[in-house]
Amino acid sequence: MIERRVVITNRLGLHARAAALLVRTANRYQSALRLERADKTAAADAKSILSVLMLAASCGTELLARAEGLDESEAMSAICGLFADGFGENES
Amino acid sequence: MSRRRRIEEQEARWNGLGVSDGVVVGRILRVFSGTRQVYRATLGEEDVERETRRLRAAVRLSRMQLLAIKARAEKELGADHAYIFDAHLLMLEDRKLLEDVENYIREERANAEWAIKVAADRLLAVYAEIKDDYLRARGSDIEDVMQRVLVALSGERSDYRKLTEDAVIVAEDLLPSAVAELDFEHARAIATDAGGWTSHTAIIARGLGIPAIVGLRDLHRNARTGDHVVVDAQHGLVILHPSAATLEHYTSITASAPQTRDTTMTDRSQPLATLDGTEITLRANVELPAEYADVRRFGARGIGLYRTEFLLARQLEMPSEDEQCRAYIEVAELAGEDGATVRLFDLGGDKMGGVATEIERNPALGLRAIRFSLTHEDVLRTQARAILRAAAHGHLDIVLPMISDVMDVRRARRIIDEERARLESEGIAPGPVRIGAMIEVPSAVMTADKVAREVDFFSLGTNDLVQYLLAVDRGNEGVADWFRSLHPAVLQSIHRTLEAAQRAFIPAVVCGEMASTPAYSVILIGLGATILSMTASSLPRVRRVVEAIKFKDAEEIALECLECETADDVEELVRVRFSQNWPHLFPPKSLPAPRDAE
Repeated sequence: MIERRVVITNRLGLHARAAALLVRTANRYQSALRLERADKTAAADAKSILSVLMLAASCGTELLARAEGLDESEAMSAICGLFADGFGENES
Repeated sequence: MSRRRRIEEQEARWNGLGVSDGVVVGRILRVFSGTRQVYRATLGEEDVERETRRLRAAVRLSRMQLLAIKARAEKELGADHAYIFDAHLLMLEDRKLLEDVENYIREERANAEWAIKVAADRLLAVYAEIKDDYLRARGSDIEDVMQRVLVALSGERSDYRKLTEDAVIVAEDLLPSAVAELDFEHARAIATDAGGWTSHTAIIARGLGIPAIVGLRDLHRNARTGDHVVVDAQHGLVILHPSAATLEHYTSITASAPQTRDTTMTDRSQPLATLDGTEITLRANVELPAEYADVRRFGARGIGLYRTEFLLARQLEMPSEDEQCRAYIEVAELAGEDGATVRLFDLGGDKMGGVATEIERNPALGLRAIRFSLTHEDVLRTQARAILRAAAHGHLDIVLPMISDVMDVRRARRIIDEERARLESEGIAPGPVRIGAMIEVPSAVMTADKVAREVDFFSLGTNDLVQYLLAVDRGNEGVADWFRSLHPAVLQSIHRTLEAAQRAFIPAVVCGEMASTPAYSVILIGLGATILSMTASSLPRVRRVVEAIKFKDAEEIALECLECETADDVEELVRVRFSQNWPHLFPPKSLPAPRDAE
């Protein structure tokens, strides 16, 4: 299992569009992917949009991402890429 | 389909809030949108597997429908508005949700409908706790998806495409996906129990130029598909089972006013003028891509008002510079030589655009429109860059909404100029853009002479002007009686603004709802307006009136109206003088109704 700390940098947080992108990406991998708020108040299955939306994660929220499975490193780097890139929403 | 009316049915009337003007006589198409009644059934052990298969089939069907809706929304409302259906699709594909529902069916031996309802209710309860307004609102998406699956389970088709020509959609409320599914060509009017001025139903209806009334409380329950109905949005009135006399009355009105949807293309090369030679320019207000066809069809002289809010009506985030630029180029191409006036985002209050703001106690008087853009400067800068870039590909102007002080104009102009210089230094050629002010706040009317010196044109937004001048919230039914477009103070303000524009030699376009109402358009022309901008589908009826009157007569009546003491006096004067001068153009119902009759 690998674990990484990620921060939400896009202004709107994990709203419907960003959550949809996250879930679509997570579903491309076999590994189980979980997200947990750093304050431990909520955790979500990254492959379920209903679960991800319920994190109510806004801009600046810190999350712990965990991947476990055969393709865990690929899955983790894809997920971290989305967060780093602000889900393609951060403008210059 | 039988033409027979049910004579035994009593005529019944409902009052609501007209959110998109017009009068339609048609037949009801009752649309289920609210909560469906779901009953619990206990299955025998042997039926459990069949029930889960039934559930999966319903989910598959719903998924196919959603894919079709998404494709349609992309085409008719633009790609930026279709993404919400992607979220719906993902909810439907959510493994956890489906597992929960299937487990419930197995463990509780419950029917699929009940299992879905239980799962959705649990989710909704959790969402209701979320503090974030936007995420909490996603509850309505869950509801939407659940209803779709329930309909699929029932075997009913929620297919609004096979509308008859005169369908009046009656619903409790229209969910976003139902609105996107509507057959825009054939829906003639919309009437809903819930909703307000800014509801999605209202926005779409105004965009399409079909009448809509919301806030009708229990109409849906009392209506049946196929019932005759009159929708009179001017008066916020729905008449179910109209009597022969009522029907005849309304049929004569709709027959005398050209059918907005059936009028043939008008030759726009012919300049439009009154009988005594005053040239009048009619332009179009647009918001939705779905309206673009009407702009071409009804021969508008360009676009007098492009409302940019719809670019983010669906996504609660700002569209990027490139996305905006593409949308503006499309509008410029549509407008052609006559050009388009792009209004900067009128955001704030309930239309937040994803920028976190404090909840305001009084949003209409709060941080909205130009104030919002000046406060969130990045929003203004991005939009200005997008318009300036698009202006290199066509004729575009910028209008600044809700100007209340010359300083607003100066600050916005400085930012736009800075972005122009930045673009040039980046090697991107901006196009020429004129900058105008929306005159809709009383302080701008009072200082119109000063504002006129700093802008290239005026746009009069009559809706907000009436609201601010008379201190009446248009969305509040309780004060609807005080919302008087023909109040002498409103007419004096319009007159004063038009005169200020004339003195400064700048054009003024009148672009509120008033311009699209034939009787009001005559008053506006009489007050000195020469450019009117309105929903494209209203163009034919206003054109018909303009061609048939003399400016001299309109002016005489308008100046007399200015001297009236009360709104009632103005309306009475309009009724008398219009029916004397132009009985063929203005049947009694097209004129403001006497107050005591309502």
